[in-house]
Amino acid sequence: MLIRAASCALLLLAAQALVSAVQAIHVTPLVRDGRIYVSFKLSEAFDNDDIRAAIHSGLTITFLYDIELRRGAAAWIDRTLDAATVSAGVQFDNLARRYHVSLSVDGRLEDTAILEREDRARRWLTEFERLNLFRSDRLEPNIEYYVRVRARTTPRNASFVWPWRGTDVAGLAKFTFLR
Amino acid sequence: MPSTLSDLERPHAPATAARNPGGVDRRPFRDNPRLILLGICILLAALVAMVTLADRWSAEVNPSFLTEVVLYAVSAADLTMLLALGFVLARNIIKLAVERRRGLPFSRFRAKLVGALLGLTIIPALLVLLVGGELIRSSTQKWVSQPVDAVLGSAKQIAGEYYREREEIVASQAAGLARALPAGALRNGDAGGIRRIIETEVTQGRMRRIDVYVLTEGGGPVSLVAAQSPTLPRHDLRVFTDRFAARVAAGTASVAHETLDGGGGIVQAGSVVAEPGTGQPLGVVIATDHLTGELAREARRIVDAYEDYTRLRVLLPPLQGMYLSLFLMMTLMILVSATWMGLYLAKRITRPVHMLAEGAREIGAGHLDHRIEPETRDEFGSLIEAFNSMAAELATGQRKLERSRLDLERKNLQLEDRRRYIETVLERIATGVVSIGADGRVETINGSALRLLGVDRGVVGTEAAEIFEREDLKPLGGLLRQARTGSAPAVGHEITLAREGRDVHLAAAVTPLRRDDGGHEGAVLVFDDVTPLIRTQRVAAWRDVARRLAHEIKNPLTPIQLCAERMRRHFGAAPAPVRDLVEECTSTIVGEVESLKDLVDEFAQFARMPAPKAVPTDLHRMLADALALYNGLFQAIRIETRFDPTLPLVRIDAEQMRRVIINLVDNAVEALGGSSASAAPGRLVPLVVIETQHDPASGVARFTVADNGPGISAADRDKLFMPYYSTKRRGSGLGLAIVRRIVVEHGGSIEVHDNAPHGTRFVIEVPL
Repeated sequence: MLIRAASCALLLLAAQALVSAVQAIHVTPLVRDGRIYVSFKLSEAFDNDDIRAAIHSGLTITFLYDIELRRGAAAWIDRTLDAATVSAGVQFDNLARRYHVSLSVDGRLEDTAILEREDRARRWLTEFERLNLFRSDRLEPNIEYYVRVRARTTPRNASFVWPWRGTDVAGLAKFTFLR
Repeated sequence: MPSTLSDLERPHAPATAARNPGGVDRRPFRDNPRLILLGICILLAALVAMVTLADRWSAEVNPSFLTEVVLYAVSAADLTMLLALGFVLARNIIKLAVERRRGLPFSRFRAKLVGALLGLTIIPALLVLLVGGELIRSSTQKWVSQPVDAVLGSAKQIAGEYYREREEIVASQAAGLARALPAGALRNGDAGGIRRIIETEVTQGRMRRIDVYVLTEGGGPVSLVAAQSPTLPRHDLRVFTDRFAARVAAGTASVAHETLDGGGGIVQAGSVVAEPGTGQPLGVVIATDHLTGELAREARRIVDAYEDYTRLRVLLPPLQGMYLSLFLMMTLMILVSATWMGLYLAKRITRPVHMLAEGAREIGAGHLDHRIEPETRDEFGSLIEAFNSMAAELATGQRKLERSRLDLERKNLQLEDRRRYIETVLERIATGVVSIGADGRVETINGSALRLLGVDRGVVGTEAAEIFEREDLKPLGGLLRQARTGSAPAVGHEITLAREGRDVHLAAAVTPLRRDDGGHEGAVLVFDDVTPLIRTQRVAAWRDVARRLAHEIKNPLTPIQLCAERMRRHFGAAPAPVRDLVEECTSTIVGEVESLKDLVDEFAQFARMPAPKAVPTDLHRMLADALALYNGLFQAIRIETRFDPTLPLVRIDAEQMRRVIINLVDNAVEALGGSSASAAPGRLVPLVVIETQHDPASGVARFTVADNGPGISAADRDKLFMPYYSTKRRGSGLGLAIVRRIVVEHGGSIEVHDNAPHGTRFVIEVPL
């Protein structure tokens, strides 16, 4: 009885964590012209004082997004069909009060900018529109897939003894591929 | 156990097996001081390197590298060392527990030693870890403080405000110029008119440089004219300004900063020149001001200091983590080293003692060639060498003992052989030997003694007094008593025992056995049957008497006979009564003289019996020749022969032995009645049987003359072979004496027994 109660409690906690993680990143996949475009938005990232302090310390802070195209499996671990890494970096110039931002996909520098306003820097770092990440020709029609986005920052504010942490925030969006 | 002395001399194989047979003897790490020293040096170097790197990392290492790699690596190393420590501790605790449960030697001592060393190390190490960790945490917390925070924030604010002010000034200049520039000159590309305007601004020192761009249709801004103060450090601003102008035209930027090579920096502000009335953008004005090197440098230093400080604040947790991890790593290293050292020391101490205990057990089990290989040259090594020396001496002593034991065993075997030999001799000899112990009981008695005393082996262990209390043995008992009291004669004493009506003459001697302290330890009774000797002596005496008698009697017989015949012839003419009387007397005299002559001849023959000339002879043939004399003589007596066909030739004097046979057969025939014997119905047929036997085991030829006559009484049987003893009315008594002498001189023996169911049986044995 005790074991059953403990198991139920653990399942409840896990479900809550999943829900909060899903709500942290809003993911929108779009399949068009043989490509899969992924839009996602990390909510409330700059509401965290630690992140703001880290950015305004002049450190180069990088928001790393691991994006996976996956297919669910009923009795096994979901299969990852494709994966990409998007990194958005920012370095704040305290003298000029400007945000030097950059965008890389799979290590490839895509864009840079100098932004004066924090909200624009925040959007640069947390909102991404129609990133052309995956091809759809490998997908099977009428099958449900999902795109999972996991976000983390570097450097980490890791703690002593056990620096390993799970992904800070994550989100996913399912879609059914129709040819 | 060695079976021979050569086995003892051959040393056993060394008990300590080679550790690496067929290869180089590799010493394990724990026994190699050089490797241990090297390990300690590597450990110390790792600690120093960690401290040094930690000191440098805090200032130089990329924060991402610090938090993504270093911290993880150090934490992983900590966990690994923690697992290693746990494994080593768990393994050895389990091992010690198992050893203690099994009762292995020194397990308790090892457990105590390891526990003491771990206790001595773990408690201080944990205390140092706790205190040191707290010190690190409090020290790093002091890196950031509110006053410093406020000062650096204010300084950064001042520097920022200065920059902002300069930006606003430059932006104001750019905006003013954008309004002042005539739209027509810009539309027509009148560079000269515009130059005059902007050069005035530059010359008057309001700006260091001004660039004017014309916006083309569908394209970006194109530089129209630029004016620059000579005081502006030479720096190629073209590209930077062009890019900034494009951003201004696009509306994405209005102010820009650029750092110059020679120090200092520039502040640029841009403004769009618009068509009056319509507001259509015609061009872009970029105003540039110079921030002098000292001012820009100081502002930058302020901002750098602020950024360093804020970075430190941000990176404080991972830095604390790294330092604490390093400290933890050092503590774990010390703990692992202490644990290992404790185990090593325990093993180092207990191993030689354990080996010594094992060696002692091996020595105790009799493996005296067991040796222990010393692994060190310290006191334990000396102890092991002393043990090996002791074992070697024990082995030498044991070999000597073993050799002595084998010698003793051999001597015992010799003694046993000798005892068996003596026993055999005693059993074979005709002398009776009886040994009597200190308790008066018979210990040993040989066969001759049994025969002579008429007892069996059951007397061994019984009281001698009890045995010799028997009526016929009393003389010997008296002799033993005298021996006990010390009054027995040392020389042989002749004793006559009555045995079945016969006298048995013994020459007996008792030798008392004395201990070194003179105490009585028993006695040995030795006695010989001297009856045949006495008999022989008597025969010799009789032979002498016979010879004298023959000599003394025979000489006067012839004159007597001659005188009697002369008297008969002289009185032949005398009257008849006289002549008859003389005739009768002289006939009697002559007859008796003849009888006396025969008697004297027999005496002479007995006295002068020649030595036999023994040659290999066919005994059966000799017997057949002798028995042929009796053919047809006695009708009622049957003479039967039973010859053994395996009998070989016998070395005998055929003539003398023929006389023996005839004598014995004559006696047998006479015992059966001689010529008057008759075979009455219902009675046994008078029978004389001559039988031969070959006895290879004894090496004798045996022949027997038996009859079924009345037999001989036991009393007469002993005197039968004595001279002049005869049971016949007209016997000289010399026949059987001569028979016995012939047989004895052939080296044989003759015995007389009763024949079953009737009669007498003479058994003669002669050597082959």
